[in-house]
Amino acid sequence: MITFNGVTKRYADGTVAVDNLSLEVPTGEITVFVGPSGCGKTTSLRMINRMIDATEGQILLDGVDVKTIDPPTLRRGIGYVIQQAGLFPHRKIVDNVATVPLLLGWEKKKARDRAMELLERVGLDLKMADRYPFQLSGGQQQRVGVARALAADPPVLLMDEPFSAVDPIVRTSLQEELLRLQAELNKTIVFVTHDIDEAVKLGDRVAVLRVGGHLAQLDDPATLLARPADDFVREFLGRDRGIRRLSFLSAEGVRLRTDLLVPVATEAGAASTSARATGEPWLAVVDAGNRPLGWVAVKDLPESGTLAELEFAPYGTFVSGRDSLRGALDATLLSPSGNAVAVDGEGRAVGVATREALDEALAEVAGGVGGAVRGSGSVSVGGSDGSAEGKGGVGGSAGSVGGSGGPVRGTGSVAGSSGSMGDAGDAGE
Amino acid sequence: MNWLIDFFGDPVNWSGPDGIPARLLEHLEFAGLSLLLAMLIALPLGLLIGHTGRGALLVVSIANAARALPTLGLLVLIVLLMGVGTILPVLIPLVALAVPPILVNTYEGIRGVDPDLRDAAYGMGLRGRQVLGRVLVPVALPLILLGLRLAAIQVVATATVAAYVGLGGLGRFIIDGLATKNFPSTIGGAVLVALLALLVQLGFTLVQRATVSPGVSERQTIR
Amino acid sequence: MSEEPLVRWDWIGRNWPTIQGLLADHIVMALVPIVIGLLIALPLGLAGVRWRWLYQPTVGVMNVIYSLPSLAVFIVLIPVTGLATRLTVMVPLTFYAMAVLIPAVVDGLGSVPDHVRQSAVAMGFTPLRRLLQVELPIAVPVVLAGLRVATVASVSLVSVGALVGRGGLGYLFIDGWQRQFYTPIVVGIVLVVVLAGVADLLLILAQRLLTPWSRARGSA
Repeated sequence: MITFNGVTKRYADGTVAVDNLSLEVPTGEITVFVGPSGCGKTTSLRMINRMIDATEGQILLDGVDVKTIDPPTLRRGIGYVIQQAGLFPHRKIVDNVATVPLLLGWEKKKARDRAMELLERVGLDLKMADRYPFQLSGGQQQRVGVARALAADPPVLLMDEPFSAVDPIVRTSLQEELLRLQAELNKTIVFVTHDIDEAVKLGDRVAVLRVGGHLAQLDDPATLLARPADDFVREFLGRDRGIRRLSFLSAEGVRLRTDLLVPVATEAGAASTSARATGEPWLAVVDAGNRPLGWVAVKDLPESGTLAELEFAPYGTFVSGRDSLRGALDATLLSPSGNAVAVDGEGRAVGVATREALDEALAEVAGGVGGAVRGSGSVSVGGSDGSAEGKGGVGGSAGSVGGSGGPVRGTGSVAGSSGSMGDAGDAGE
Repeated sequence: MNWLIDFFGDPVNWSGPDGIPARLLEHLEFAGLSLLLAMLIALPLGLLIGHTGRGALLVVSIANAARALPTLGLLVLIVLLMGVGTILPVLIPLVALAVPPILVNTYEGIRGVDPDLRDAAYGMGLRGRQVLGRVLVPVALPLILLGLRLAAIQVVATATVAAYVGLGGLGRFIIDGLATKNFPSTIGGAVLVALLALLVQLGFTLVQRATVSPGVSERQTIR
Repeated sequence: MSEEPLVRWDWIGRNWPTIQGLLADHIVMALVPIVIGLLIALPLGLAGVRWRWLYQPTVGVMNVIYSLPSLAVFIVLIPVTGLATRLTVMVPLTFYAMAVLIPAVVDGLGSVPDHVRQSAVAMGFTPLRRLLQVELPIAVPVVLAGLRVATVASVSLVSVGALVGRGGLGYLFIDGWQRQFYTPIVVGIVLVVVLAGVADLLLILAQRLLTPWSRARGSA
């Protein structure tokens, strides 16, 4: 556990980078420091391994004041990953990774073996081991940076905007890699970013800092999105906060209908009959293995023949029990039926989540947030869509999704992008 | 061309204290000693001010001003003041000539290392001296070697003026030849010095290949 | 040794016209090669940027030229350009200047950020206008840094020409040596250093004027 006890960093010219910061970074979790530039997030991180020394207050590492430890010794026990990876250009990749083990006096062979093991672990081809950093892409270099930080198996990892210099696709894969690694390693990680999406995606807990080095809020991502502490945090979270919050809510509770699934071998006539019984205008067609094929409109069903002769409309799926409400909602938007097909881990259809069923689930979410959300309606509407009119807040915006795909189109990109940081900035001006 | 044949073809020029081998050794002694002294002064100083940044502006300004010192003037002045009992009078101007390029290039090389790299090195727990020795110097090595090469070439070329004040070295063929209107000797001496300078240039290219990590040198050619 | 002062001011006063003449000669021999060297280095450097394959051989040749001892070159040139002529001194100095300036021009143009070049292209600059209005101005600090090194070296090297009969202020060294007399030597050294310093200052000033946007780089 890392404990900040009233930590202040004041520079000689009087600038206060971090102001009386107190917080705890729990063992085995990812804690993200996020905030606009000048909020002191990097300074806070760098005070942990004494790259910068605090002016006042204490930072305790498992109860020991870091100021009592000689900086190089302290740093050898803490992994450190920075934005441009900072790989040593004159050393081969494997030697870069083996740096700290060798500093700690490991045997060459052992350090090298460990380095190879880590390269594999961060998903790098072992052919890279004998290359030099300039021969690797930015994303690969960053993986090496992570491997290097992990080499001596430090319990604590400090990551200073490690993924902000790579393109969004690579960033996404690096983020997923980090989560996968963390699931295996359970390190105590402090991660600094200016990208709120990244913070929310990676953090077990997110500390939002404001300019001048004040802690604005420290919470788990779902709570942060649901109940921002003040206007600053709300604006920093940006628009689409409601939609993004859905990522943290399981779609498990959504009511599924099995009567809307029809095997492709079904006679058209029989299908029409059963369709009428459902009262729904669309049926989801599945193959013999129960895998979804697409949607057919009941009104287009012919008098004779089987469904196999028809053309199917596109469909979207979500994995029941694993995906979030956001995934389910996204799936409804991929199909003209406005319904989503729920599948199991193997891709077999287990039911259909209708628009109504999702509306019910979303209404529950909105209800759960209560008054805190209503007040924020203006923020989530603030963008462009006006989708929240009437109900306000999360429930409102979600409600309109079912109605027309239009207003929410913009959110499709949110899943993979970091664009909302800019939005937050705009909103703040 | 005939002058060259006259000079290099004459067996007298290949033996004795006035012969090519002896003069070459003297030349190498002046140049080598001066370069060594200059390295002993300039390398540590350049590393220090590059690493700490302290006093850099002052030291670099002085070094740059020293580049303007005319070696010939310095040499005759020092010889007049000290006499020619030792080779010290010739070493001082040559050291003064060699220090600025070594010092300035070493300083620029160390200072020019990507700050992220320095940050990463400290962040991993390297101590100040380890950062310098294991990261900054290897990365700055091309520039440091460039400074050494420029210094070495200038020293080899300029050591010829030692002959003007009666000291030895390959310059004797040039200066004595000029004084006695012996053009074969003058031209031959000039060619010898030029060849020696080219050898030094070649030597440094080889040293560079052997000591600079491909991770550093390749990166530069790509850019 | 002790009775002879380092500087005899009366000697300076008596010989001032001579010293002035040597100074003028020195300035011409030091600076003309720089100007000509720059005029040649610019197109060669540009060619080196445009046709990459040209650059390495050019630099190789220049490195070789740079490593040729000035005194040796002066002497080899005597049969061609004559003993004790300005040309004998200025021709090699021109090559030394080029050896420093060609890489400086290439590095300078290389210092133009790619996005700047691209946006100039995108805005419809013709290659020539792009060169004159965008690339060269951005290259100025690096080229001027090379120019400073070349100028100081040139001013200092001219004096070696005294050994072949034409060395500007270098004559004072020969004169002092032959008469075992400190004053001309000291005067010569001081004037050479001052001349180099003034030239350097003028170049720094030129950089300030030419590149008001990069104040910070003027100090190195």
